[in-house]
Amino acid sequence: MLRVRTPKVTLYVDRSRQQWVVLDQSGRFWVLPNVENPWDQRQPIYPTEDMELEPIPGHYRYMLGLPSGGEERDA
Amino acid sequence: MNIEQVRLKEAQEQLKAWKRWGPYLSERQWGTVREDYSEEGNAWNYFTHDQARSRAYRWGEDGLAGISDDQQRLCFSLALWNGRDPILKERLFGLTNSESNHGEDVKEYYFYLDSTPTHSWMKYLYKYPQAAFPYGQLVETSRRRGPGDFEYELLDTGVFDEDRYFDVFVDYAKASPEDLLVRITVHNRGPEAAELHVLPTLWFRNQWSWQDGSERPELRQVDVRSGCSVVRATDARLGERWFECEGEVPLLFTENETNMQRVFGLPNRSPYVKDSINNSIVHGDDSGINPEKRGTKVAADYRLRVEAGGSKVIRLRLRDGGGGPEESGDGSAGAFGDFDRTMDLRRAEADEFYRDVIPQSLNADEANVMRQALAGMLWSKQFYHYDVDRWLEERGSDPFKASRKVAPRNDHWHHMYNGDVISMPDKWEYPWYAAWDLAFHVLALTLVDAEFGKQQLKLMLRERYMHPNGQIPAYEWNFGDVNPPVHAWSTIFTYRLEQGVKGQGDRDWLKSNFQKLLLNFTWWVNRKDRTGRNVFEGGFLGLDNIGVFDRSAPLPTGGYLEQADGTAWMALFCQNMMEIAAELSLTDSDYVDMAVKFVEHYFWIASSMTHLGGGTGMWDEEDGFFYDVLRLPNGESQRLKVRSMVGLLPLCATTMFDGVALKKYPEVGERFVRFLDARPEIRAAIHDPLKPGVAGRRLASILDETRLRRVLSRMLDENEFLSEFGIRSLSRCHADHPYVFNAGGREYRVSYLPAESDSGMFGGNSNWRGPIWMPVNALIIRALLQYYSYFGTNFTIECPTGSGRQMNLYGVAEEISRRLARIFLRDEHGRRPVYGGSKKFQEDPHWRDLLQFFEYFHGDNGAGLGASHQTGWTGVIARLMHLFATVNPEVALQGGKKVYFETAGEKAAGGAAGAAAEAESRVAELSGAGR
Repeated sequence: MLRVRTPKVTLYVDRSRQQWVVLDQSGRFWVLPNVENPWDQRQPIYPTEDMELEPIPGHYRYMLGLPSGGEERDA
Repeated sequence: MNIEQVRLKEAQEQLKAWKRWGPYLSERQWGTVREDYSEEGNAWNYFTHDQARSRAYRWGEDGLAGISDDQQRLCFSLALWNGRDPILKERLFGLTNSESNHGEDVKEYYFYLDSTPTHSWMKYLYKYPQAAFPYGQLVETSRRRGPGDFEYELLDTGVFDEDRYFDVFVDYAKASPEDLLVRITVHNRGPEAAELHVLPTLWFRNQWSWQDGSERPELRQVDVRSGCSVVRATDARLGERWFECEGEVPLLFTENETNMQRVFGLPNRSPYVKDSINNSIVHGDDSGINPEKRGTKVAADYRLRVEAGGSKVIRLRLRDGGGGPEESGDGSAGAFGDFDRTMDLRRAEADEFYRDVIPQSLNADEANVMRQALAGMLWSKQFYHYDVDRWLEERGSDPFKASRKVAPRNDHWHHMYNGDVISMPDKWEYPWYAAWDLAFHVLALTLVDAEFGKQQLKLMLRERYMHPNGQIPAYEWNFGDVNPPVHAWSTIFTYRLEQGVKGQGDRDWLKSNFQKLLLNFTWWVNRKDRTGRNVFEGGFLGLDNIGVFDRSAPLPTGGYLEQADGTAWMALFCQNMMEIAAELSLTDSDYVDMAVKFVEHYFWIASSMTHLGGGTGMWDEEDGFFYDVLRLPNGESQRLKVRSMVGLLPLCATTMFDGVALKKYPEVGERFVRFLDARPEIRAAIHDPLKPGVAGRRLASILDETRLRRVLSRMLDENEFLSEFGIRSLSRCHADHPYVFNAGGREYRVSYLPAESDSGMFGGNSNWRGPIWMPVNALIIRALLQYYSYFGTNFTIECPTGSGRQMNLYGVAEEISRRLARIFLRDEHGRRPVYGGSKKFQEDPHWRDLLQFFEYFHGDNGAGLGASHQTGWTGVIARLMHLFATVNPEVALQGGKKVYFETAGEKAAGGAAGAAAEAESRVAELSGAGR
């Protein structure tokens, strides 16, 4: 069976607003609330120039329950 | 066979997992490449010591005097608090590469005192100041110092003045493979009573946060019986373990999870985070301690008051399920009924084991050095975990993603998955494997555990390590860098050892390694021989700043270097492959052609060193020395006349052959004769391989006798390479006569620097411009013994040069070994050169017999430099001491190269009568002192 990798999201923290920010595969930004399954309650966000987004390693995505957390999917 | 040897056999035959638990915890996981997800690849600044107490690691764990299982699921180590420090002492502190004036450096005093190869018995010592640990003072003072200054050490801060510190000994003994006893003994060396929190800590490596569907393990307090606090550890793959702490001691539970608030400025979803125990003890903030008494990290809080000169003991036990905590080892008195008896027994068994390892002829001080060297080797094992493919993907450098970012390093090593116990050079300064270091480690490790040595060599050749193109990974800062190819040499050495012990070597292992080494050899030939003329480059080749320029970077002149060391390494690689193929051909004629191939390839490479290049080959007839040759873009060439280890390495490319394979295949000998007869220039350029020596032996050597004598006269000149403590990496002649080269309007200068480097080349934390390095000294000694067994006693040379004292080459080898051992041994004044001018280490009874095996040594006075716990390849001193204590020149000449292996075999088989009684366990005296 052929196994292909799914493109991953990119994680950031916005320290000034104390929030997680996610850039999804289609280029949209989301802010995640501090709850148990944050991705389910994500809100769209449009980064402004004054926003400093600090990149966070991809392995934190599992903890946040992001949908592309799976390493691979079967094709 | 003694009991520890039985354990080794049981482990090897997979009857009992005696090695499942060991000192596999790193001493520094922060500041490593694998934990670095920064854009620019600044590992030291990305994950700092300050973050380490609060941030969960991705790939491994660290701690003080720690242990773990061999997949590092469950970890145990020590934390301490003296009531004054701003943080718990949970891990060793040191300066990062940019903070110190000579690169990264641990600023702590800790000692590996003892270990058996199965870790059935281990002993460790940490010296903990009673005053506040001078973190800021170390950083600030070091920052002000320049490259010409000494490093600022912890003793210099005065924090150990008046002996106001605790000696914290940690002893481990295994009652069974899954039943570990831990004894912590705290001595107050100061003049007044002092208080201390001792926090034995158990935790799970965080694996659940980094992948989907991973089951979270759990630590939970269980009902306490009188006089004991008990934790049950449950993990889906490890099963259940019981952690029993003597006394009704408070157990503080939290989670091994990142404190998001502190690290990233984000609210924590749970108050139970990695630094909660620190915050509870140091700040009295218990909000992060789980009142339900469960979590993934727990510490027992022992609050001790230790009288001046007094001591206190804490006893712990970590074992598998059995009947649970009510079950005692002897069925009578709980977890600690048989505790002391087992401890004593394991220590006695360790003494018994080492009586068969340490030659009887060594005196007590020598035996102490050898035993602590081996202890350091064994304590330096570490679970090394790095899945490069996932790491690349997690940092957005997915190798199969079109829009990926290029990773700052290791971008082409996505095939790699490392998750094994590996011998580290130094678990704080170099907590990652280094391929050529490892080949040397095996020389010492095989004194006590041949199987582990074999496994380590094999590991680097596995598909999870070796690049598909045949390159052996160098080290995590740049797996694609090039280390000297010494793997084949270590392989044949290890094979011969086992052959000596058992009468028969492991041919399957040898064959399998040979196949992979062939790939590696081909990689070298295709990648590092630019012109196809059998002269090699290779870049820094492990010798950091030895060259005029950074040899791994584009040259300021343009063009390229033909490297004397690179070419010599390849000549030695050929000899090693030739020897392996010849050995395999004794039972499998398919290998005959391979042996012939490597013989011929050796002829080409060796002869190219001297006859190629017209007037600018590597050999300089006027100086009688080898140099790198700079080939410029305009076609001009010149030798870079730095007299360094680079020019001594051709001397090391020598191997004596006893002709066993040729007797079986005489037609091969005839092919060699025809080959050489047709190429008289080759025969003239190197030592004549057809010329018989003692007992009809043959010698593969780049140097003929005349050139050998010329190189030796420089090497044995105390004004050049020969120091009181071994062979220097750079000739002392450059103290008065620096080598200067001008290019592009800039002056490049190489001066003799016996201590630390004065430049930042290769991080500035190592120096090959003068100091003494153990591995290359070991290679020189090996070479001299090869020459000796060929030339015999009639070949003598003045040693030291100009002394009027003639020695044969065995005598020279022994003399160099003796000088190397002197670094560590007490001299006639009771001082150990390794500790230089440190009064504490030289005179204090609680310090003076504790040994550190540094990375390299001062070229004039033998003082230890660089990494302080690089027992790694410096541990090779144990092998050298063993060699010259078990072989003598007559026997060596008579028996040739087999003699040492067979002698070592007799020892390993239990034939030793026992080392001197007074030498037995100096370690016991050390720990007993002050009790």
